[in-house]
Amino acid sequence: MKDFKKLAYRFTLIAMGVFLIQSCDENFDTRQGQLNADDLDYSATEDMIQALIGAYQIFATRGWEEPLLLSVRGDDVNAGGLGDQQPFADTDNFTYDQGYWMYNSLWNLHYGDIVSLNTEISLIENFKAFAEGDDLTKADQYIAEIKVLRAWLHFNLARVWGEVFIIETNQPDGEIANGVVSKEAMMQFISDQMDEVIPLLPNMRPNERVDIPGGVTRYTAYALKAMAHLENEDYQGVADACAAIINSNKFSLYPDFYSLFKKPGELSNESLMEMQFSDYNSGTGDTFYHLFAPFGPQTWTPARANAEGGWGFFEPSMKFIKFMLDRNETVRLETSVCWTDRGIAELQTDPNYATLPAFVNNTTRDGDVFNDYARALFASGKHYLPSVQITAGRNNYAGGKNLIVIRYAEILLMYAEALTRGANGSGMTADQAVNLIRNRAEMPTLSGVSTAQVLDEKFAELAMEWGIRYYDMIRLDNYGELSYDGRTFSATDELLPYPQAQVDALPELSGDDQ
Amino acid sequence: MKFKHLLLSIPFLFSMSLSAQENITVSGTVTDGQGTPMPGANVILKNTTTGVQTDFDGNYLLSNVPSNGTLVFSYIGFSPTEVPINGQTTIDVSLQEDTQALDEVVVIGYGTQKKADLTGSIVSVDAEQIEKTPTANVVQSLQGKVSGVQIVTTGTPGDSPTIRIRGLGTYTDATKVLFVVDGMFYSNIDFLNTNDIKTINVLKDASSSAIYGVRAANGVVIIETKSGTANKKPQIEYSGYVGVQRAQNVLKMANAEQFVTMALESGSAADVQFVLNAMQRYGRSRINPNIPDVNTDWYDEIIRDGIIQNHSLNVTGGAENVTYSLGANYFAQEGLLDMKNEYERFNVRSKLDVDLSDNFRMGVNTIFSNATQYKPEDAAWFKAYFAVPILPVFDEMNTDATPTRYASARAVGYRGTQNPFPDMVYNNDRLKIRKLLANIYLETDLIKDKLTFKTNYNVDFSALEERYVDLPYNMGFGDERTSQIKREQNNFYNQIWDNLLTYKDTFADDHNVTVLAGTSYRDEEANELEVTGRDIVGIDFDTSWYLDFADPLSFNNNVVEKNKRIYGQSYFGRLSYNFKERYLLYGTFRADRSSKFTQEQWGYFPAVGAGWVISQEPFMQDNGIFDFLKLRASWGRLGNDNVDASSGANTIDNTTVDLGDNPATGITATSTFTDLTWEVVEETDFGINMTTFDNRLSLEADYYIRDTENAIMPVFIPIANVTINRNSGVIRNTGVEVALDWSDEISSDFNYTIGANFTTVKNETLEIEDTKGYIDAGSAEFRQRTIVGEPLYAFYGYETTGVYQNEAQISADPTAQAAIADGTDIQPGYLIFKDQNGDGAITDDDRVVLGSFLPKFTYGGNIGANYKDWGFSLNFYGQTGNKILNRKRGEIIFTNDTNMDADLAINRWHGEGTSNTYPSSAGLRDGWNQKLSNFWVEDGDFFRIQNIQLSYTLRGDKFKGNGMPDFKFIFTAERPLTLFSYNGFNPEVSNGVDRQTYPVPAIYTFGVNVKL
Repeated sequence: MKDFKKLAYRFTLIAMGVFLIQSCDENFDTRQGQLNADDLDYSATEDMIQALIGAYQIFATRGWEEPLLLSVRGDDVNAGGLGDQQPFADTDNFTYDQGYWMYNSLWNLHYGDIVSLNTEISLIENFKAFAEGDDLTKADQYIAEIKVLRAWLHFNLARVWGEVFIIETNQPDGEIANGVVSKEAMMQFISDQMDEVIPLLPNMRPNERVDIPGGVTRYTAYALKAMAHLENEDYQGVADACAAIINSNKFSLYPDFYSLFKKPGELSNESLMEMQFSDYNSGTGDTFYHLFAPFGPQTWTPARANAEGGWGFFEPSMKFIKFMLDRNETVRLETSVCWTDRGIAELQTDPNYATLPAFVNNTTRDGDVFNDYARALFASGKHYLPSVQITAGRNNYAGGKNLIVIRYAEILLMYAEALTRGANGSGMTADQAVNLIRNRAEMPTLSGVSTAQVLDEKFAELAMEWGIRYYDMIRLDNYGELSYDGRTFSATDELLPYPQAQVDALPELSGDDQ
Repeated sequence: MKFKHLLLSIPFLFSMSLSAQENITVSGTVTDGQGTPMPGANVILKNTTTGVQTDFDGNYLLSNVPSNGTLVFSYIGFSPTEVPINGQTTIDVSLQEDTQALDEVVVIGYGTQKKADLTGSIVSVDAEQIEKTPTANVVQSLQGKVSGVQIVTTGTPGDSPTIRIRGLGTYTDATKVLFVVDGMFYSNIDFLNTNDIKTINVLKDASSSAIYGVRAANGVVIIETKSGTANKKPQIEYSGYVGVQRAQNVLKMANAEQFVTMALESGSAADVQFVLNAMQRYGRSRINPNIPDVNTDWYDEIIRDGIIQNHSLNVTGGAENVTYSLGANYFAQEGLLDMKNEYERFNVRSKLDVDLSDNFRMGVNTIFSNATQYKPEDAAWFKAYFAVPILPVFDEMNTDATPTRYASARAVGYRGTQNPFPDMVYNNDRLKIRKLLANIYLETDLIKDKLTFKTNYNVDFSALEERYVDLPYNMGFGDERTSQIKREQNNFYNQIWDNLLTYKDTFADDHNVTVLAGTSYRDEEANELEVTGRDIVGIDFDTSWYLDFADPLSFNNNVVEKNKRIYGQSYFGRLSYNFKERYLLYGTFRADRSSKFTQEQWGYFPAVGAGWVISQEPFMQDNGIFDFLKLRASWGRLGNDNVDASSGANTIDNTTVDLGDNPATGITATSTFTDLTWEVVEETDFGINMTTFDNRLSLEADYYIRDTENAIMPVFIPIANVTINRNSGVIRNTGVEVALDWSDEISSDFNYTIGANFTTVKNETLEIEDTKGYIDAGSAEFRQRTIVGEPLYAFYGYETTGVYQNEAQISADPTAQAAIADGTDIQPGYLIFKDQNGDGAITDDDRVVLGSFLPKFTYGGNIGANYKDWGFSLNFYGQTGNKILNRKRGEIIFTNDTNMDADLAINRWHGEGTSNTYPSSAGLRDGWNQKLSNFWVEDGDFFRIQNIQLSYTLRGDKFKGNGMPDFKFIFTAERPLTLFSYNGFNPEVSNGVDRQTYPVPAIYTFGVNVKL
């Protein structure tokens, strides 16, 4: 029995020891290396602007395929897709593949960013709960800015797919259940929302802003409002919104059209909305770039050694080039197109273009030589940054170049078109608006401009920019213009089909005849 | 220790002798079947604790034993033999190897069990089998040897092979098997030397592994390292081999002539132009003036033979109360890729067990491993496929290229530089792996031979020092790179403390019970630091390859530190019971707590098993057929906690954006978040064990159903465009495993064994939550889709039915006409796709599952024979039913002007009747044919001679007389022959997507083993 006691004693001691040492409960309640959103100090309202900056980051981080897919169907631009990304080239030819990843990506990235922007709004609202005085006004302004950025994404979605969802929260189940709205309703929503935010936004040019240089102002909101009304063919609405911008007398055309799309033209007085990219003029360290390589030539001989070329995915169309040559355009054609010898030779096979102006040359005025490459005959000059402007130590094609989203020239031309269609203009005349543009382009002035002349001017001025041309043509049902270079466009080609993955995931999208 | 037993039993003996007959002293020698003395064999007087162990020469002396008693001679792995004393004073015994293996003891979780008493499925592989494979990684040696276990070899020196036990039970990448090495938990055992291992025990079914609870879902492998033996003089053993490795089945690429033919037929003016450019730059071939005077075989350029070597020196032995096993090992292996690509490891180990007193034992076990791996630049494998043969390696005209004038394909107009050499030469990727495993235990008998308590502390310290040096170069034509160094420091510090109480008893002679109760506490800490610096000063000297020499500005946003610490607490128990070794019952239970999960921290993992040993039934005695026959069934539940604790995040991230050419820091947040919990695997296993033909034939077969409940699977949230993981799916693996072994000893000079095993696995998705009804993986071009009723990650695309031979066929085919009407050009030489839904057009809806990377059937086998001093063995292995996505070919969808393999070039359609499976050269470049179809997804079947080994033992004493050690010479051919139809040079692709898979070499080694 003594043994048993001894055993029991030993046993108990061991059991107690083990239990005591192993029950370190506090270790089970904490997790190292995490900062939860709830733990952020929202009472530090001076940090509120960080949520706004986050929104600009969301806005400016666009997939490389987004600007391409938004624009490629226009008669100003071709896919340049010899081989690679065949369905992208097919899209350029109005043969749509519902399963093509680019469609799904454009949809996903746009809507995903809308939801992310809504989350930024909710972060600002968290700060606003602690804000007082000026900070309250700031909170409202910041939210208004984000709503303008969000409107641009909604605007694109409606242009591409017609009937789409309006999403104003970051838990969108309910909004999805409400179903899609018509393109007209979306444009009206954008217009109404711009009316709501305009009083809250700063009354200045984006480049006048000190807190957020190049950020959204009330004129950005007017611009989006004008674009929404244009889509709905409400020309008086267009004229009024444009007039608000024109009459502010804050905006002017950047005098050097060529440089507008290069580093000197960044955040000019012409800019109403601009995605900014930079390496902060340093050859090392962090960069914030858009991937411009799809716009670049496959091979080139850059003036600055080692600057990289691109993929040749985006080619100004022969139709556009001939149109420009027919008009005797100079600086705008030189700015819009980077030439290759192969492209020039192809152009010259048409006897009407056997002799060409001197600037039609495979060497740009900054000395970059565009060699012949398989994918395309030409490259987009508006997406080209001279290699000499690339920061030393950086080689990415067009590295650090900005992407202008809305510029004053578009406002003037929308305004002019509205007036030629009978709208009352409280700003200038249509002739004045068009001639401002033509003067800069070194083109003779016009008088008594017609709608057709304005649209031609728009083609010449805004080619390769965000599909402006394409959406004008489908707005006007001008399918003849889109049936070019062997393509045939019909009404059913206007909208892209919903991406297959979205149809599968969103029952709300089926039942709807696309 | 046994001497102590003897001493202890002396009074006992005296007390017995009072009533007993005359006591005598017995001595003798114990030998094995070949007459070799057996040191350390047990000699015990039956039904007493009286006994001794034999000495170094197999001799024993046992005094004071009753002359009418019975002696029991035993040794692990041999049948115990009972000899009545009958007054003899000299008893020599020859022990027979225990072929029946009924008393064979296998290692189970936190203990051991007699194999005959098992109710679950556990397979043991012993040292002899393991050592056959020349490899750095022990896992590799299991390939083909254990049914139900798939090993996918890796060719990269120092990398670990993929191991899958009973299919794929998780959608996540948490597929790692739990390795338990002398009690410590690992997911990677690259630090172990094959020579140091005593046994590997694969716990295949859930009932066997459930005692490891939340870590056990992917299967458990228990590894024991070698220990010493008491009362044995030190045995010094050298074992080593040196060998050469050679790439096998190197893929034949199109040569310059075939390539140019393809380019000319492509219908692409650009491709023709590039060929002309190459002729201008490099000249025309004198043999065929229409092709450039360059014909580079890129695989040949980048592949080399490699040396492999392994040297181990071990000392084992023991004194009266101490046993030890000490050793050092050096392993080195060069990679096949002709760059700084190699692996080297130096290990030191010691294992010491001490009897502190009559009932206290303790031991210490340490392994220190120091390895250096120079990683290959795998992109070279892909580039060598892709690089055109009309490009030379060097190009003296490429004067911009520095420091070496490598040729760039851009010089002749191609988009990329293609040449793989800059990747190989200008990268230096080094990983230093230092691991220390230490273990200490104390064991005490609370009740002698019945109740023991063991406390066991394990620590695993691993430091991974990674350095990736990007040397600067200029390839000309705009391809320039500045220098960069990325440093990663990953430190892991894991501790486990186990306490075990084991009670073992027999009641009423027939009721055998073992009960285990235990606790375990674990603490796992991981710290990861990653820093990248650019523009290294003095990059030409490897003495400057430190971040100190980097531009300090470049560290901005390039420093990452992560820390993770997880605590676990467990209580577990096991009960095993058998009645007369006839009816077996088994049960385990584990309660596991993990700090990782925020919602529910405790998980409960029960398991039960039952067995019926029919051959032990009285009516089966002397049945003349079955020597052993057992039916068994088991069920268990396992967890997989190697998953993320949550998906998405409600966390704040810092971001930077450009505002006015200044970086501005902002915050973004994600709004989708779910808490996750461990995955649960439930498995039912039915098995049979049988031996017959006088124990010469043994069969083990199992059927199992293994379900992963609440499997973590991605759920796509539309609009928010977030894919979030949820415990939402059910995955099922079912299969049959059969192992058959025949062994026979014809004479004392000749014995042989033949073994075969096969495995079937059916992997199936039973439930998913995503509203789309499927989960996509892979890229859009190379889609893998998980659909209910189909395997995980199945390849998903179109089914081809042939190739259009002529225009008439195209006009007659409505689907082709529909495509043409839709603007797609269809030419003869284009693939014909099956219109699965019969709607008259080829659309996304016509895609079907094309197969899975998981083999449906794997098989292995071995033949072994020993004749006198010669030994021979052969192992083979094969698999069928798996598919490989030939992405090397498929990437023509991205860049269609590059090279292709000769098979594709030769067998292309190039006119009516030339091929009904391969498209034309022009077709290959057209999007219609580039869609993922079964043209790009190929059969992954293969059959391989896994290992051939021939050995000869030179008996030292016969050769030079006493005192000379035995020498064993071993010639090994590892993987000398692999047969397969897949168009790559390696059918072993872990995830089934072959883009830049490292080839697996054949290895030929010569080895020596000397025992002093």
